[in-house]
Amino acid sequence: MKKNDVILIAGILLFALAAFGGLSWYSAASTQKAEAVVEIDGQEQGHYPLEQDTTVDIQLVDGSYNLLEIKDGKADIIEASCPDKICVNHHPVSKRGESLVCLPNKVVVEIKNGEGMEVDGTTH
Amino acid sequence: MKKKYIMVAVLAAVIILAGVVSKYSSQGELERYETTFFDIFDTVTSITGYAKSEEIFAGQAELLQKRMQHYHEMFDIYHTYEGVNNIKTINDAAGVEPVKVDGEIISLLKLGQEMYQKTGGKLNIAYGSVLSVWHEYREAGILEPENAQLPPESLLKERAGHTDMQKIVIDEGASTVFLEDPQMRLDVGSIGKGYAVQRLAEYAQEIGMEHVLFSVGGNVCAVGDKADGTPWRVGVEDPNAEWQGGYRQAVDIVGECLVTSGDYQRYYEVDGKRYCHIINPDTGMPSEYFPSVTVLAKDSGMADALSTSLFNMELEEGLAFVESIEDVEAMWIMEDGEIHCSSGFKVNEEE
Repeated sequence: MKKNDVILIAGILLFALAAFGGLSWYSAASTQKAEAVVEIDGQEQGHYPLEQDTTVDIQLVDGSYNLLEIKDGKADIIEASCPDKICVNHHPVSKRGESLVCLPNKVVVEIKNGEGMEVDGTTH
Repeated sequence: MKKKYIMVAVLAAVIILAGVVSKYSSQGELERYETTFFDIFDTVTSITGYAKSEEIFAGQAELLQKRMQHYHEMFDIYHTYEGVNNIKTINDAAGVEPVKVDGEIISLLKLGQEMYQKTGGKLNIAYGSVLSVWHEYREAGILEPENAQLPPESLLKERAGHTDMQKIVIDEGASTVFLEDPQMRLDVGSIGKGYAVQRLAEYAQEIGMEHVLFSVGGNVCAVGDKADGTPWRVGVEDPNAEWQGGYRQAVDIVGECLVTSGDYQRYYEVDGKRYCHIINPDTGMPSEYFPSVTVLAKDSGMADALSTSLFNMELEEGLAFVESIEDVEAMWIMEDGEIHCSSGFKVNEEE
């Protein structure tokens, strides 16, 4: 086997490895950091990184609202116009796949990315 | 000789590249889609599935949603719908006359009878007159927490006298249902959702969907596996989440159903004590053996019925009961966070 052949073989293998590594890195990078995704009636309204403290006033057309607070890496609905207050009573969420739901307002806050097992659904 | 080496190397590179491409490009032609809706069975429903295009999935999801709406109307105990004889119609005619109903209602009630037998009465769909008292007091207590009260014992006792399953008269030939006791009321809340999800899973297969995950409140049901051949992973929410944070158990399912019954979602408080929405037919009071129990079974209706039944049993009794039934597994989460599983229950614990 000639030196050139070795270089060729090594080159092809290196290229394949680089492609594999690059794609792995890309996919890891795209999982990124945890964020709270706000949806109203199935329509995405916005996403907010958990590492940044903020308050989101989720306003519905009929005047109903949910007040979402992001603090210390957790998302929590601290106030709402709904009668049952199930969303307010729910503990703050921070892990991938966890969610806050306000049925009367059709509001869902779901944690995407970040720590935790990836799940396809949850029972509660 | 050297040509051979080059060929081998090129081949190896091609195989690796093909692997890379297939791993990161979409699985075949199928894309994953999800849809969520809010107005059925008083809970959030999401359907996750795979299709070649968004239009195809939207079409399938619409069929499923329509079918589900129909079950919602049939099993409703609070509302009347035009052209539908539902559970409320049967209740309103208690002691008066048999009501002609859809065969699906007959099947549901027969499942209720079967599960009443199997669970020694821990699940009673004729318990509506007691449940409605609790419902009323719970709603009032949530609306005005400072005035929250427990139902008077005498009222609960009086109502408990009208919960005899024998008084449900089903005429399959005529497709009618009659409640002999005028004060008796059906409440199918413990099995209706599960039954509907089971039938929807079957319907999904009929319309050509091979990989679907239904999530209807606490009821999760899988049709097949995921399109990439891996199982659906379902998290079980931790009732002690205030100190734990999120779910920490996940169960992998293929063509199976997972249903959780718990005391931490629908409840009200009286004098600082929590009273949940699941009422034990033996005592007429909310069950408080443990915060949650999760059932794994092939049939969603059965899983739903069993999770409610197990919630009304002590851990030891429930464990023995589950072990006596084939193809059914369960997991209990106790107040102190301890977890008990039946012998065949496999969980993936979060690292």
